[in-house]
This record gives sequence, structure tokens and C-alpha cells, in this order.
Amino acid sequence: MQEVDNIISILKETRNAIKNKDVISLRSLSDQTIHTATVSQDPDNIAIAVIVYTLGKIIEKGKNGEREKCDEICRKILIDIEKLIASLKINNPKIIRNNLNSMRKHLEGNSGIFKKYIQDVFRKASINKASKIYEHGISMETTASLLGITMFDLASYSGQKNISFSGKGDKTISTKERIKIAMDMFK
Amino acid sequence: MKAIIFDSGTLISLSMTGLIDELRDLKKIFNGHFLITKDVKREVIDKPLTIKRFELEALRVKQLLDEKILEMPDSLKIDNNFLSEKTKEIMNIANSTFLGRGKEIHIIDSGEASCLALSKILTDKKIENVIAVDERTTRFLGEKPEGIKKLMGKKLHTDVTSKKDNYKFFKEFKFIRSTELMYVAYKKGLIDIKDNGLVLDAILYALMFKGCAISGDEIREIKSLK
Repeated sequence: MQEVDNIISILKETRNAIKNKDVISLRSLSDQTIHTATVSQDPDNIAIAVIVYTLGKIIEKGKNGEREKCDEICRKILIDIEKLIASLKINNPKIIRNNLNSMRKHLEGNSGIFKKYIQDVFRKASINKASKIYEHGISMETTASLLGITMFDLASYSGQKNISFSGKGDKTISTKERIKIAMDMFK
Repeated sequence: MKAIIFDSGTLISLSMTGLIDELRDLKKIFNGHFLITKDVKREVIDKPLTIKRFELEALRVKQLLDEKILEMPDSLKIDNNFLSEKTKEIMNIANSTFLGRGKEIHIIDSGEASCLALSKILTDKKIENVIAVDERTTRFLGEKPEGIKKLMGKKLHTDVTSKKDNYKFFKEFKFIRSTELMYVAYKKGLIDIKDNGLVLDAILYALMFKGCAISGDEIREIKSLK
């Protein structure tokens, strides 16, 4: 995995945020991993961003009912984080990947409606993280492929959140000029 | 002969906003070809056909291909292997242009690169062409590569450097978006909705909300054009 020290520090903060049920910090920690993921495009970095974001959503759900299930998940995840930090310290890709898979299993390891909820949160977390990477200037196709989502998902989400356009500096040629290019093609 | 090369995002915007029939009508008045590459086909037809949520949109685009409204490059006798080679070449150049934290940043993928490659091949064959691309990065690469560098530097909170020599490679491309295509459809009277002054506004905003990288200011400018 790339930028291991940075990821370890994010995981330590994640551990504290879980203990404090601090949803806002979890969201911000997930965004921090995105900076690294944009450059490295390392699948493990991306997986951590999605997991941390999902944890935030689960804790949020716990605050609005389903508390027992959420607490149980958090207890398991805290143990997983310790293991993950240990594997990152020796930077063993195989053990890191196994620990990430175990985290995902513990997140999804419920049954019934709650399992469906978690799966949906995972999908939405992936789209959310993809939109953040797209916002950083990576193309739509590259981003969708990194997060394993469709371009339909990403186009729709980024359009609704107005992520596709980041400001006045985004204008490359004049509006008139581009319309002329299009009109000239149909002459 | 002329050609419009469609990137995935443009077809996705048009399909999700229900503007496929307008595209079909545009083809009828277009003296040339609407082209998609196999990499774009994979993104807008093959993959989404396996996902229930997007199956209908994928079928709509597939129908365009079946009706030959959209065509593959071999309809213009462009060799697929040659296009694949050029696509790889473009991906390599594009993805080694920007560097952050000492690493090359992978910015575009095969669908987008294949549109650029096809455009280059058509230009070499003296076939007038434009690329219809709704996403921002590919368009920026051709029109304002410094913009990518600036945006990444700002978002990553780090210095992003670039190989400026690579910029010239992307200079010759012309880009339009789904919004310009639908403006043409509107001006040519191809929009079937009764116009009480709202239809152009509605179409442009609908496309924006489905991922077309256009600002509210640009939409206002387009609406003000006579």
C-alpha cells in the first residue's frame, strides 16, 4: 500500500472517532484518504475511504435506532482496525488485503433488512467517493472504474451535486465558439 | 465527409434525460457519421446491460447502434487494431502528463482515449470531426491542460507539476457537449415539446443534472444566443 504512514494516522483517528461516535470526523477522515487515492489510485486506499465513510453512516443509523447492531459492528471493526494498523506497519499486502476483506465482511455480516441497508450504504459510499475523485480532476471513466461503479451512477450523482463543474475557471473556450463548432457541423 | 465521435458521458446524459429521439432526428439532418468506439460501447451498452438499474438506458443506446444511427469506426474502414494502438499511445501520453507527490497521475481511461485516438485518425484522413464529450477532464486536456494542473493542485493541497511538452499533442481536438448538440436540435426545430420559452432552459438544465459539465452561466449565455 502507498503512503502507509498517512493511512495509519487516519486509521488511528478513525478508531477515536468510532469510540466517540463522531460522524463528522469520520466523513472528513474518509475525504482525507481521497487525496491519497487520487494520486496513487491504489485499490486498498480506496477501500479504506469507502469503509470509513460507511462506518459514519452506520453510526448515524445507530443514533436513529438499530443501536445494538451498530455497536456490535463497531466493536468488531475496532478490533479489525488494530489488526489493519499492525499489518500496515509491516506493509504486507496480502495481510492488509485480508484485513480489509474481514472489515468488509464484518460490516456486511448482518442479516435481513439491515444487511440490505449496509449494502446500499456501501454502494452509495462508493459513488460518493468516486464523485470526490472526479472532483479532483480525474476523468469520469477512470473514476468509475476505480470504484467499481457505472458511469451512469457517477454521471447522475455528480450532475445532481453539481460536481461536474467547479467554477468560472472551468470555462475553456467561449460559449459562442463552442456553439459555432456544433452549428458548423450541421451546415 | 464529417463525423461526430461520442464519448460515453454524452450518450449517458442523452439517454438518462430521454433525449435519444432528438439525437436520432439530428442524425437525419447530419451529412456524416455518428461514431462510437468499442471502449465506449462497453461503457454505455455492454456493462449497463448487466445491471438492472441501467438496463433500459443501455437498451436505448443499443437500439441506436442497431439502427445504424451510431456506427462503429470500421464502418469508415478504420482498423480496430490500429485504433487500439493509437488509444494506448494517447493513454500513455495523457497519463504521464501530470505528476503529484512525485507520481504520474492516471487521468483518463480507454474510452476517453479512444475518442481522442479516433479523432486523430479521422483528421489524418482529412475527415472533419468533433468529439462530443460531457465530462470535464478530457475536454480540459485539449483546451486548457493548465486547468487540470491547477484544479488538482488546489484539491490535493500539493504541488502538481506537468510535462508541458505533452500539451501540444492534445491541442488539435474540437469538443462539443450534449448541451450544444441539443441547442442545434432546438434551433433546427427538432424538439417535439411545445415551446413556451422554457424548453431550451429545461433541456440544458436536465443535461447538466445528468452529469454534463456546464455551468449555470454558460446555460444563460446559450439561451441568450439568437
